[in-house]
This record gives sequence, C-alpha cells and structure tokens, in this order.
Amino acid sequence: MDFKGRYNFDASPDRVFDAMTNPRTVAACLPGCDALEPLGDNRYQATMMIGVAAIKGRFKGTVELRDLERPVSYTLRVAGKGTVGFAKGQARIEIGESGSSSSVAVIAKAQVGGPVARVGQRLLAGTTKMVADKFFACLRQKVEGVPP
Amino acid sequence: MSASTFGSGIRRREDPRLITGSASYTDDIVLPGMLHAAMLRSPYAHARIESIDTAAAAAASGVVAVYTGTDTEGEIAPAPCAWLLPDSGLKIADYHCIAKDTVRYVGDIVAVVVAESRYEAYDALDLIEVDYDPLDAVVEPKQSAAEGAPQLHDEIEGNQAFHWTVTGGGDIGEAFENADVVVKETIVQQRLIPNAMETRAALASYTPATGELTLWNTTQNPHIVRFLCSLVAGVPEDRLRVIAPEVGGGFGSKIAVYPADFVTVFCSKKLGAPVKWAETRSENYQATTHGRDHVQEIELAATKDGKIVGLRATVWAGMGAYLSTAAPGIPTILHGLMLSGVYDIPAIHEDVYGLYTNTTPVEAYRGAGRPEATFMVERLVDLLAAEIGLDPVEVRRRNFIPKFDDGHDVVTGLTYDSGNYDGALAKLLDKAGYDQLRAEQAAAREQGRHIGLGLSTYVEICGLGPSQVAGAIGFQGGLWESAILRFHPSGKVHVMIGASPHGQGEETTFAQIVAGELGVSPDDVKVIHGDTDNTPMGWGTYGSRTTAVGGAALALAARKIRDKAKVIAAHLLEAAVEDMEYDDGKFFVKGSPDSSKTIQDIALMANVAWNMPEGVEAGLEATSFYDPPNFVFPYGAHLAVVEIDPETGHVTLVRYVAVDDCGPQINPVIVEGQVHGGIVQGIGQALWEEGVYDEDGQLLTGTMLDYALPRADRLPNIEVHSTVTPSPHHPLGVKGIGEAGTIASTAAVYNAVIDALQPFGVEGVNMPLTPERVWRSIQEAQGRN
Repeated sequence: MDFKGRYNFDASPDRVFDAMTNPRTVAACLPGCDALEPLGDNRYQATMMIGVAAIKGRFKGTVELRDLERPVSYTLRVAGKGTVGFAKGQARIEIGESGSSSSVAVIAKAQVGGPVARVGQRLLAGTTKMVADKFFACLRQKVEGVPP
Repeated sequence: MSASTFGSGIRRREDPRLITGSASYTDDIVLPGMLHAAMLRSPYAHARIESIDTAAAAAASGVVAVYTGTDTEGEIAPAPCAWLLPDSGLKIADYHCIAKDTVRYVGDIVAVVVAESRYEAYDALDLIEVDYDPLDAVVEPKQSAAEGAPQLHDEIEGNQAFHWTVTGGGDIGEAFENADVVVKETIVQQRLIPNAMETRAALASYTPATGELTLWNTTQNPHIVRFLCSLVAGVPEDRLRVIAPEVGGGFGSKIAVYPADFVTVFCSKKLGAPVKWAETRSENYQATTHGRDHVQEIELAATKDGKIVGLRATVWAGMGAYLSTAAPGIPTILHGLMLSGVYDIPAIHEDVYGLYTNTTPVEAYRGAGRPEATFMVERLVDLLAAEIGLDPVEVRRRNFIPKFDDGHDVVTGLTYDSGNYDGALAKLLDKAGYDQLRAEQAAAREQGRHIGLGLSTYVEICGLGPSQVAGAIGFQGGLWESAILRFHPSGKVHVMIGASPHGQGEETTFAQIVAGELGVSPDDVKVIHGDTDNTPMGWGTYGSRTTAVGGAALALAARKIRDKAKVIAAHLLEAAVEDMEYDDGKFFVKGSPDSSKTIQDIALMANVAWNMPEGVEAGLEATSFYDPPNFVFPYGAHLAVVEIDPETGHVTLVRYVAVDDCGPQINPVIVEGQVHGGIVQGIGQALWEEGVYDEDGQLLTGTMLDYALPRADRLPNIEVHSTVTPSPHHPLGVKGIGEAGTIASTAAVYNAVIDALQPFGVEGVNMPLTPERVWRSIQEAQGRN
C-alpha cells in the first residue's frame, strides 16, 4: 500500500523537524500510541492500538529514524505485529521552507498482512489517511500553539 | 406404477430435512468430553519461522494442549498428493500438516490449540508468539516460471511442479505454417474461490483402549479419506471409520484431504479424547482449496472458409504452494484431453506448466479443467468466425463432429461415446429464436444499444472412469463404484452405496433407479451413504460420476436381484425359470399375468426361506461392482444474451438458454436444478468472481464482501431444454450432469459480451467482466481507433 501526503505548518522547519523526531511528541500525537520507549540509536519500541473497520488490535513493534538531516529530511521505518496481523513500512519525510512556514511531504510504502489486510483492505487507505491527518493536526497544534 | 417413477421429476427426499434445519452436519455433532481445535495460520505468504513461543497460550484458560510442527514430526506424514501425473517430471513438495520451518501461503498451519471450548481455543491463538523472517513471494503462475522468481521449495527448480504435454493428430507446426488463417489470444482463467454453504470441519474421536478412530469429515469421498488418513496418521484402515454426515456442498473443494483434518486426528490420538475443528468463513477463504488460475496462450489455424486445421496452446497453471490431493490431474488430463471439443480438429498440441506459487493450493472446482478447455476452444471458434466474417453458428457447423452413436475417436486419444452436436445446436437456435435475436441485435445497434449473443457448444468428459485408465494416468486409486441392495422381509429396501452425494439429490435418483429396475416404490428404498463402516467401497462424488458410475453399480445389483427373484418365483409358481416373465415388480408365467408373485412376496419368502428352490441361498441381497468401460461424454449448446451500457460498462444478462444432453434423465427436475446451479457458477466466473492476491501474497478477497458471488437478482430466468442421446456403454444409458452447466456457461457469457462490444473494436478483456473492465476496454479501443 502506498501513501502520499503534504502538510503545512506555520512554523520553521527546525521546529517541525524537532517535534516530528521527538519521541514524546510523536507518542502523544499518534492515535492509539501509548509510548515510544528508546532502544538507542534512534530506535524505539512502540505499542499501538490500530483499528481498521471491525479489525482492532494492539501492535507491538519498532520505530526507527534514519538518515536524519536536520531540518530537511529523514526516513522512518516501522515494523510491528499483533493479533490482527502485521505491518511493515518505510516513509520518507521531506521538509521544505517557504517564508516563515514549512511544508512536510510524506511518501510512504507499507506492507500489511493477516486479518487486517484480508478484512480491512478496502478501508486501509482511508484509515491510513485518517491516522496521518490526526497525527499532523495534533503536531501542528503543538508546534504552532507553543511560542518558541 | 412404481417403475414409471424412473424418469419422473419426483421431489427430492433430501429437501425436507435440509430446508427445516434438521440435517446434521459435522459441526452439529457433539460428543461427551469433546475438545475443540483451532489452527494458527500464517499471515505471511512466504516466511521462515525463526521461533514459536507457545507458553502463554498453553497456560491460558481452558487450553489443553498446543502443538507445533515439531510435535507432529514423525507422527503424521505430509498431506499426500494422490494424482501422480506420469511423463511430466512431477515434483511433489512435502506438504507438512503443520509447517516446520517455512510457511508458503497465507493460511499455512503453524500451530494448533486444543481447548475445552472453541472460544478459548481461538483466544489462545492470539497468545502464540511466532517470529517470522519474511521472504519474497510470487503469486502469479507465469511470473513464478520466470528467471529470478522467488523459489518456494529448495529441491524444486524454477517452481515447476510438472510440465505435461498432449500431442495428437497431424504435425502441428505444418498445420499452422500452411494455414490461411491463424487467430490467437491470451486468456486469464482467474482464480476462483469455492463457497460451499458449509465450511470445512472434522471431528476425530480416538478410543485408546481399542485403537479405533472415528472421523466425521465434511468430504465428497469418505472412503478416500479413510485410505489416505490411514496412511498419513497411522490408524489401520480396519480401525478407522470415516463418516461424511450431511455435507453442505463441495464443488471440488471437499475432495482433498487437508492438513487440518490430519492435525485434528493427531490431536485426538494424542489426547485420547474427541477433538472437533470447524473452519470460520474467513479461514475457509484462505485455507480451503481454490480453483482455476491458468494463463492460457492459445491459437487456432484454419482454412479461409473456416475449417479448423490445428489448435495449439501453452498454459501456465498456478498450483498454489503445495499440490493438493488431486491437483495435478486437473489442468492436464481433465483439460488437455478435451481440447478437440465438439469439433473435428486434425492436429492438437498443448504444453501445460504446473507452477508452485505462494497461494492457497488449487484443486478441482466444478468442471475442473473442462471449463478451461471449453473456454479456449469456444473462444477460438468465435475469433475465427470474426476473422473470416462468418456467423459463429456457421463456423461451428463446418467443424462439428457428425452425429455418432457408438464411439468417435478424437486426436487427443479419447473415444467419445455418443453425440449429436448439431442436433443440440439446432434445438438451441430454435428455442432461443436465434435469427430473430440477431435481427433485434442489429435493430438495437441502430438505436445505439449494445446487445450481444454468445454461443458455447461443449462436450465434457465425466463419469470418471475406467480404473485401468486411472492407473495409466497416475490417479492413485480406482474409479469404480459398488452398491449393496438388500430386501427386508416386508419388501422394504436398503441401498448401501460407496458414492457420497452431498447436495446433488442422489438419495432420490438412486431410489428411482431401484424403482425402475424392480418396481418398488421409491418411498420404500432407503439410501445409505457416506459411512465407511456401513457402505461398500466407493471412490467418491466428483467428476459427475455419482449417478453415471454409482448408479450403474446399483442398477446392476438390482438386476442380480431380479435374476434371483425370478428363480424363486418360478419355484413358487411351479414353472420353469425360462418361462418366467417380469414386468414392473411382478413375476409371472408367460401368458398368465394374473397369477403372479410380487417382488415383495419374493422378498418375504427369501428372508424366511421356508420354501426355497434347491441350491438357492436365503436372503434377497446383491452386491455389484461397476468399473465403467469408458467415460461418458455429455454435451450441449448454450446461448447467452447480454446488453451492455457503454457509459458504465455494466453487463446485464438478458437471457440464458441451454440445451443439454446427459442421456436419459432419471429425474428431470434434479437435472434442471444441476443445470441451473452449474450455469450460475460459470456466469460467476465470466462476470463477477475473482480471487485476488496482492504482490506480497496477501489474499485481498478474503470475505464475502470482497469476493463477488452470483446473486439471484442479477440473473435472468434460465431456460433449460434437453436432447436425449444414450451412452452406448452404460447400463442405463445415462451420462453426468453435475458440472455441464459450469463447463458451458463461462464461454457463452464471455462470447456474448465480446459480441456486444464488437462495434467498439474491443479485442480481449480479462475476466471477470466487471463494469470497470468493460468500460476501460471500450475507452482503450476508442483510443486506439
């Protein structure tokens, strides 16, 4: 499954980059995510509740930030599994600057398997977009709402 | 009178229990102390199993045991493939009932939980931690054959399970070189997913004290299950009883003996308790065998006036991750040998490559190989008609095998039994009003409406078959049937038969056969089947063979009874046996029908045996084994009429007219029901059904929301007609009818859609012909032109 999105922030790329790579902010903004426990080397252990249509379940896995180039870009690698299936994905995140605002481009590719794929397939794209929209809306509130 | 019920459309005796919910299926059976099994299945299409942690599941509430592949090793053998296709380089990969170190399709069993309740068993599945290392997967057969494709089995190079060829008649190369016209096409026979109303289930009950095991199993062939289960699970055949209780449909998906069945048997043996496993619908989609999945590259050579001179094809058949029980025979023997269809084709050559893919194993699915063959031939004939500008009817007529009633050899090596192909077509054209329909089509086109007519004239091979042939083609079993017919003192009859009907209505037709042969009322005949302890050996219900082979065995048993009854009657009437006559249940001396003995009189005398002729045994019972001398070859002609909305691509099936010839019909209403059901399944392939995997091998059509089954509201009234051409070699002259509809209808509907799209210049569209595909094909054609 492929996902592409673009999100604009009324904040500098530095601020956006820092927020997006801060495990506490990410954990707080990612729907269903309890915590990101650091494992070292920009790797974190994550637990997340994911629901696609009737298929809901807890995923356990790792999140890894790679190729960090503050404040321009990084790569996010995620692998998780749970009772309702598994997911593995990679996202390339690029942050552009225009004046005082930033634009975040996300290009992601994910592999999903198990019941979540079999039963939820038709709703997967929609669910992914919903999760991403919620995440970035929350993030926007955090970076735009709090003065530097 | 009773004999006249043979050939009449009496009501199916099965139906009252089926429609009132009082039938008992495997999952309805409850035994004291019964445990429940649930299978953990792989969510990956291809992965190495690094580790499995079952500790939490084993400790969960109600859980009795958790087993993995390590536990079953040496205890149960791999699930066998029982069709060892000769001269094909067949390579059978071990199909471990519980995967050992590698999983190869979504649905491969990884572990089993046995618990006190089904809920606890399923809940505990979630507690098993499996660490998988995912591997690349391949799902499409032609891609599986390509260089660099992910390899499924270490010992099998290029994923190739077999390469089978059929060559017959003249030199195929020359035929094509010298032909005036060559037409070709690539056809995708998409993967289909059988949807029996009853999903699969097994209940195994082992008694340690006696070493006996009873297995209730939703199967089409309990005797084969007993045979294979004894070999795989190590229960001697004499201690193993297999019962197919009510079975809610099969369509080929209940031929195979599955890993889950063997695992259930293993659990019961291990725990010394009854263990039941019943599939969920979602599990059924991924674990019960699928059908079709062929890519066919086909071509036809002909003269400019439409006489076929050669047919050549290469087929890539997806077999799934392992070879299911009968799988290798489906895209080969049951397919390639039928490529002459109803036509006189002087040269035929086909290569079939069977390929392992990371998908659910493929097996027989209603028609099994023959729909794919009919589709090829019927598509090519229509392409030829379009190419040379003749009506499809005319091209067919120029190539039909002329009427024959006692054998016709085709170049693939088969001898068809009897046929009048033009007779069936003529009746179809008449009943459908073909000329009128063509005129209406032309008028509609003037108004911008797009009506299409599609023909399919088919012949199929069924009534499988002579056992000697079975041996020669590598089928690891016989193909005869047997029946025991027993008269009780009161004249009531028990029939014990090895065939195992599961929805086709043979409890009724078998009773009608007895009625026809012995003049009893069908109501006085009880038909017992599906229990290996109570029925004689039989090879099962598939390949439209139950009536054609089992029915013949029964008719012959009845004739033995008649012969014995005649001797007893002669004794009672103090006449010579040669002077005895029989008519509709009565025996009498020639010329004196008023003084007669009924079959019931004789049943009573034979059972009490007070006054028997010298040297005649007591009892009135006969056993017969029938091994057919040849297959039977039903045939027919079907016409579909469709209308297409070019704005949306929506296909409406306006009319469907069928003429089928299955020989004399024992029960025409049951025949019509079989024809209806068969046609609808074929229409499903043409218009709606498709089992889809993504490139990673995830099954995307894993529910009834995603897999489009035919629905009554999308179908017209199906107009069913018949002709009657007896099989010359069959005791009753009958042929099979269970699969004919499916074999014919996909091509008819497809041809109709292409005919409707003709004004747009659309060439080939892959099935299913969904609105999107049809609409796109119109757009593409318009872009081209």
